[in-house]
Amino acid sequence: MSERAEVPENHAAGRSAIQASQNLIAGLALIAIAAIALGASADLGEGRFYAVGPGLLPRAVATLIGLIGLALTAGSLIRKGDALGRWGLRGPLFLFLSVAAFALSIRTVGLALAGPVAVLVSGAASPETRPKELIVFALVVTALSICLFRYLLHLPIPILIIPNVLVL
Amino acid sequence: MHDLLANLALGFSTALTLPNLGLAFIGCLVGTLIGVLPGIGPIATITMLLPITFNFDPVGALIMLAGIYYGAQYGGSTTAILVNIPGEVTAIVTTLDGHQMARQGRAGVALGIAAIGSFFAGCVSTLVIAALARPLVKLAQLFGPAEYFALMVMGLAFAVVLASGSVPKALAMILFGLLLSAVGTDLETGVERLTFGIPALTSGIDFAVLAMGVIGFSEVLKNLEAPEQRSAAKQPIGRLLPGREDLERSAGPILRGTLLGTVLGILPGNGAVLAPYASYTLEKKLAKDPRRFGKGAIEGVAGPESANNAGAQSSFIPLLTLGIPPNAVMALMVGAMTIHGIVPGPLVMTKNANLFWGMIASMWIGNLMLLVINLPLVGMWVKLLDVPYRLMYPAILVFSCIGIYSVNNSPSDVVLTGVFALIGYALLKLGFETAPLLLGFVLGRLMEENLRRALLISRGRLATFVERPVSAGLLVVALIVLVAAVLPAVRRGRAEVFTE
Repeated sequence: MSERAEVPENHAAGRSAIQASQNLIAGLALIAIAAIALGASADLGEGRFYAVGPGLLPRAVATLIGLIGLALTAGSLIRKGDALGRWGLRGPLFLFLSVAAFALSIRTVGLALAGPVAVLVSGAASPETRPKELIVFALVVTALSICLFRYLLHLPIPILIIPNVLVL
Repeated sequence: MHDLLANLALGFSTALTLPNLGLAFIGCLVGTLIGVLPGIGPIATITMLLPITFNFDPVGALIMLAGIYYGAQYGGSTTAILVNIPGEVTAIVTTLDGHQMARQGRAGVALGIAAIGSFFAGCVSTLVIAALARPLVKLAQLFGPAEYFALMVMGLAFAVVLASGSVPKALAMILFGLLLSAVGTDLETGVERLTFGIPALTSGIDFAVLAMGVIGFSEVLKNLEAPEQRSAAKQPIGRLLPGREDLERSAGPILRGTLLGTVLGILPGNGAVLAPYASYTLEKKLAKDPRRFGKGAIEGVAGPESANNAGAQSSFIPLLTLGIPPNAVMALMVGAMTIHGIVPGPLVMTKNANLFWGMIASMWIGNLMLLVINLPLVGMWVKLLDVPYRLMYPAILVFSCIGIYSVNNSPSDVVLTGVFALIGYALLKLGFETAPLLLGFVLGRLMEENLRRALLISRGRLATFVERPVSAGLLVVALIVLVAAVLPAVRRGRAEVFTE
């Protein structure tokens, strides 16, 4: 896979109509957040001031966020500002996969496997990773955390689960 | 005065028991460790250790967590001076002159003056906390919901101004935090809000999950993109004790830094972060020859270092007296207190007197310990930096996952943390700061609760916030601060402070 996702960059070099692409996207993101929140809280009652309902605060806050978003977007078309930088894809992707793998395996197979899996998957996030070194490191970190968290600090973390056979 | 002494005596008798001393020591040690290592901060560490404190008694637990917090401030400056890597945000200013001193072979003196300044600042701000606690608690007891709401609005206004980026973006992040705090079951009506039908969201977003994702993990992502930069050449450290001339030059900056830090730290909007910048700017303005700054001026180390430690300590004041956490670390302390059934606020001082004064006394003891841990062990701490980041980040990830999982024994919390990591990364790329987001989140629930209560008491009259003098005063301050932030003159000043 490609190492970085190319996002079209707008160097404010003359012809481009957009002066600050970072603020443009930031403004649009805020508008999106506001829209989602307004949509999700549409069916909540606002109540009256003497008995404020659950919908008042989310809707008021979302509206304000939307207004700031509009202002940012408008400003980005007029004033100069920072361009949207490069977005990494590899880092976020493998970090998320590693965390998700941990979440999926901690309750089903236990830390003894969830630990190494999380370390190995996360290793893919960096181009500097050395596979052999990482495998050894994964085992060491897992052993260490089992000793520390389970046996020294007595946290109720499952260590190893083999269905119908063994729960440690 | 007699009261103060009696209270401090109670505090010391609590803090000086063997287990509590041990916990303070562990806290300071762990704090220094993570302070030295860039890419892992007190927020991630305290989150990881939060579940462990279930097994401790509350006083010991809080003493340890507090030790981590101010230990990290110490550790952060050690690496700032020796290898030009600020371990913590608050140590960025220290790199300017501290590392220059190290290059001139005066690393030891820089470390020494940083430690002496920090220790002095720690002593003073401990006394200030002890002295201010009772009056502030008395004041807090006069506060009704309207005043609490206004106070938090003021805190958020300060947070906007103290954020380093653009004002509208900081404001947007605070509002986003408020919005996220509304996710979950509404406490008063039992209605589910903004949960999108996801079961994991019905009980709301856990603060630890949000903080670890948006701050801890997105920091990892940021570091993965930046190429590793380590200054290879390490100079000898040299003698640690500053000479007479150095001490004379530093005395003023230490005093002024301590004062600045203590005052800024009390602000309920994370003023402590600003303290070292403010101190550096002040010293440069006061100096006879400002050109020396940036070239190894000892004043540029002494002032900011004292300021950051004083600020770190006095930011406990809003939490312990008003129950309002001024920054993310203090918000985690709220979590630690609630785990043990202690409600932070004015009642802590009377109901849990030994906890309150024990913590204050332990801060002083902790500062003394840090002096001992830091200076002789400097070499060992620096060696830690040789651990390459390619090994450090997987370990950080796994420990964090275990920590998050343990908070509620919930795998879905871990996934949610991953989601927030991606959100945090996107926010970073769009030029948003995440600190105001966390503060908004922390204060969100408290604010909504007090807003609703105030309106209930006043039978729905919004005017209640301006009719009550204290609340009106606080709101006016908030307004002035916000308006001032967008005035061109102040804006320029802000830019100056943050770019230096």
